Amino acid sequence: MSNNNPYIPMPVQISKIINEVDTNDIKTFRFTFLNKEDEQNFKYMPGQFAELSIYGKGESPIGIASSPTQPGYVEFTVQRAGAIVPGLVTSALHDMDEGAQIGIRGPLGNSWPIEFLEKKNIVVVGGGFAFTTLRSLINYMLHKDNRSRFGEITVIYGARTPGLLLYKDELALWEKRDDIKSIITVDKGDEAWKGRQGFVPAVCKEVAPSPKNTVAVICGPPIMIKFTLPVFFDLGFSKENILTSLEMRMKCGIGKCGRCNVGYKYVCNDGPVFSLAELEELPRDF
Amino acid sequence: MLKKIAIEKISQLAAVLMEKGTLLAPVKEVSGHNFAEIKDPKQVDLDFYNTIMSPKGAFFPHKEDFVKYKIGKPLSEVEPAVLNLKPAFLFGVRPCDVKSFEIMDIHFDAAGIIDPYWRFRREATTIFGYAYDLSQPVDSADFYNTLGIYAADPEGSDIFMVKKDKELLLKAITKKGENLLPELTVLKDGITADEKYFTEYVNKGKEYKTRFMTLDQEVVAKKLEDIFDNTDFWTKMSAACLSCGICTFVCPTCYCFDICDDTLFGKGTRRRVWDACMFTDFTLEASGHNPRTQVYQRLRQKICHKYSYHIRKYGVISCVGCGRCTRHCPVNIDIYSIVEAALKA
Amino acid sequence: MTDFKKIEENLKTESRRLLKEGLVTVVLAYGKGFDENHPMPYAAKTIADVDSIVFNEYCNYNMARYLVRYPQGTKIAIAVKAADSRAVIQLIQEEKVKRENLVILGIPVQGMKNPKTGEVIDSKTTCGMYNPVLYDILLGEEVHGVKSASPYDVLAEYEKMDKDARWEFWKGQLDKCIRCYACRKACPMCYCDPCFIDQSKPKWADKEPQSPGNMMYHLTRFHHLAGRCIDCGECSRACPVDIPLYLFHKKVAKECEEMFNQAAGMSIEDKPVLVDFRVEDSDKILE
Repeated sequence: MSNNNPYIPMPVQISKIINEVDTNDIKTFRFTFLNKEDEQNFKYMPGQFAELSIYGKGESPIGIASSPTQPGYVEFTVQRAGAIVPGLVTSALHDMDEGAQIGIRGPLGNSWPIEFLEKKNIVVVGGGFAFTTLRSLINYMLHKDNRSRFGEITVIYGARTPGLLLYKDELALWEKRDDIKSIITVDKGDEAWKGRQGFVPAVCKEVAPSPKNTVAVICGPPIMIKFTLPVFFDLGFSKENILTSLEMRMKCGIGKCGRCNVGYKYVCNDGPVFSLAELEELPRDF
Repeated sequence: MLKKIAIEKISQLAAVLMEKGTLLAPVKEVSGHNFAEIKDPKQVDLDFYNTIMSPKGAFFPHKEDFVKYKIGKPLSEVEPAVLNLKPAFLFGVRPCDVKSFEIMDIHFDAAGIIDPYWRFRREATTIFGYAYDLSQPVDSADFYNTLGIYAADPEGSDIFMVKKDKELLLKAITKKGENLLPELTVLKDGITADEKYFTEYVNKGKEYKTRFMTLDQEVVAKKLEDIFDNTDFWTKMSAACLSCGICTFVCPTCYCFDICDDTLFGKGTRRRVWDACMFTDFTLEASGHNPRTQVYQRLRQKICHKYSYHIRKYGVISCVGCGRCTRHCPVNIDIYSIVEAALKA
Repeated sequence: MTDFKKIEENLKTESRRLLKEGLVTVVLAYGKGFDENHPMPYAAKTIADVDSIVFNEYCNYNMARYLVRYPQGTKIAIAVKAADSRAVIQLIQEEKVKRENLVILGIPVQGMKNPKTGEVIDSKTTCGMYNPVLYDILLGEEVHGVKSASPYDVLAEYEKMDKDARWEFWKGQLDKCIRCYACRKACPMCYCDPCFIDQSKPKWADKEPQSPGNMMYHLTRFHHLAGRCIDCGECSRACPVDIPLYLFHKKVAKECEEMFNQAAGMSIEDKPVLVDFRVEDSDKILE
């Protein structure tokens, strides 16, 4: 944080904008820090998020999509909100060009528990837009310095249509690698789509990963979670070995403003990563 | 060290404090008393039971500016707000409210990331606690005894004040108080009889009874967890609730806030303002999903946060029994009754 | 002299009967609070619940504000005093509730008191009527022969102020506002979801408790209630900093009545004043 004041953002500049989907409302923004010191202080791990700050519009908590193994920049994949709630920050961000400056506060929250995941097989399950911090985790694990710390890595990722899949270039690279089993699916394909078709829960059932020494990391829209969790329970996964990332409305991002609590935990601070066992102890208030 | 002053001369003490820094003291307003920054020493009025708004505004003001910005200008040109460096004196704080500062300290100043605004204001302020007047009847809404607080507890104050007939006795409790008292030359020295009176008063304060129920932290935290899904209970408790924000705003231990960017003609300020979990859109997400659309869910959040989650997170109940929420609720909802009912549910 | 105890007895008797016969599923009335002088709004759903019903001089609540919380079609019995009955009528006009789903328990009463000051409430801060305008069952004797001033008499001093003085007056009063929104929530007519003040696009006003946001919120709300406010005074009683909101509401109500010959909430046959067009409507606003 700049000036030791956790409410004041650090300046960053957009160095690259990637249009991720054919509906043009999800873009990946690559930011570089304007101050070297800020960059050095921004040490993050996969799973964490940051508040993207635009003066005059507000702030938006977005998961970090890049991996700390990719130095020199930090990436966020942002969807333009506006269907129901105005989405002031995300709209303004989407209207910006490369070179524009915004503020950033972070890294915030807890991360995917790397130590807990070491020496285990990891099954990463993602749906739609929720794949961002999972991508961060996968790239972290795949990095040559880290790969040997983890067992088998399986990725099951689905989107509604082929055009809505994020990080298409990376997905293609992963499919070519032999140190990761990558299963991509879409709810509904098009003429060009040669891959799998099927909902994520059904694909998980088909792939049937073994629960032995395995941790499942699942992120997706509520409807996907609702049908995917029973599949993993049936496969024998225990609640300590299923991890997810929660979303709540946030403002301060540092556990002070009282908005994002689920029970006694603040999602911005004690989360957003929780195991299902932890969530079970909390009231169903999300 | 004990000093004293005639209550009718209180404006002289106020004048001295105003020369030294900013004085925040109770003043009489249309609907009751409230803490205000004193501009005229004669404004200070100690003839009150308790203020409408709690004194948390001295450390956590209703609005706190963070940054001034100009649209279109680079981020390096924003101006972070500079906090006033003058020492501050918070004068006439009841013991339950003094205790509330300690509870808020844990949240703002001791857990994880430090809130610089709270800490800065807290360090700059000397607290003049003020014992309840034991000769006046207790207000039926108060229940600070239940939280282990008594009517004349000096704990937490830098200087503690006790009324003795037409005089005000002031005793230094902390080092900060000990350093300040001698500088207030308008005060007279207390005599032995005053010392005795002060000590006895503090003891007598323990017998000044408010509503009381035995409240074991672990028991109430667990009970509220257990009845979280009891929709009938919470619906009944919240049937009258308007879901406004009065209880939150008057409460000394409520800390929810919002961060807003207010822009006009290209110039603006990012600031924080008080918010309330009782407001309908408090948890409204960008997707349109709102976990707490119903009044009962929001009231449940308020009670469970104060009497369960806060205990689990910080080890203390987030309430001091000052009675303000009950006194000022437009429909007379009584938090004490709700907690009682919850324990029996 | 209004017999509060008798009304309470009748209220309980009728509530028990209505619930027993299944004619309603909920009775909106008043219940015990944490002490005698602090009753609460109360919803009785079972016959056992009815035991907690009370009626005394502090039962000022306008229970009509709770009507919109129930799904359309719910059979509700509601205890109403004069202004409250007007609120029910207004809600029927605005099609938020249907007449046939309500059993209106009318309470004629004179001598309601303001719990903060102990003063008897009269036409200075409310509509000044004593008898409900619409009811199915009357729970007490109609109040007759008690002199009641016009609800607009209290505006005499206010109307002496010129435009600038009035602006200063309201600026001074509204600067006290802490934006708790109790006024909005206490009002039976403020049922909009979302309320204009909660919207961020467009952002009508800032959130912090000072002008211009305070002025924007209150002035807009006053105008949203033009022709709809039935002068129950609940907003002013709910206000923790005692802003005399009723003054502005009365002024607007007076002008509306003069211009359009219709007061809010007086007949279920009426259409809401600012929704209905009549050829004979005054052109004064165009001047």
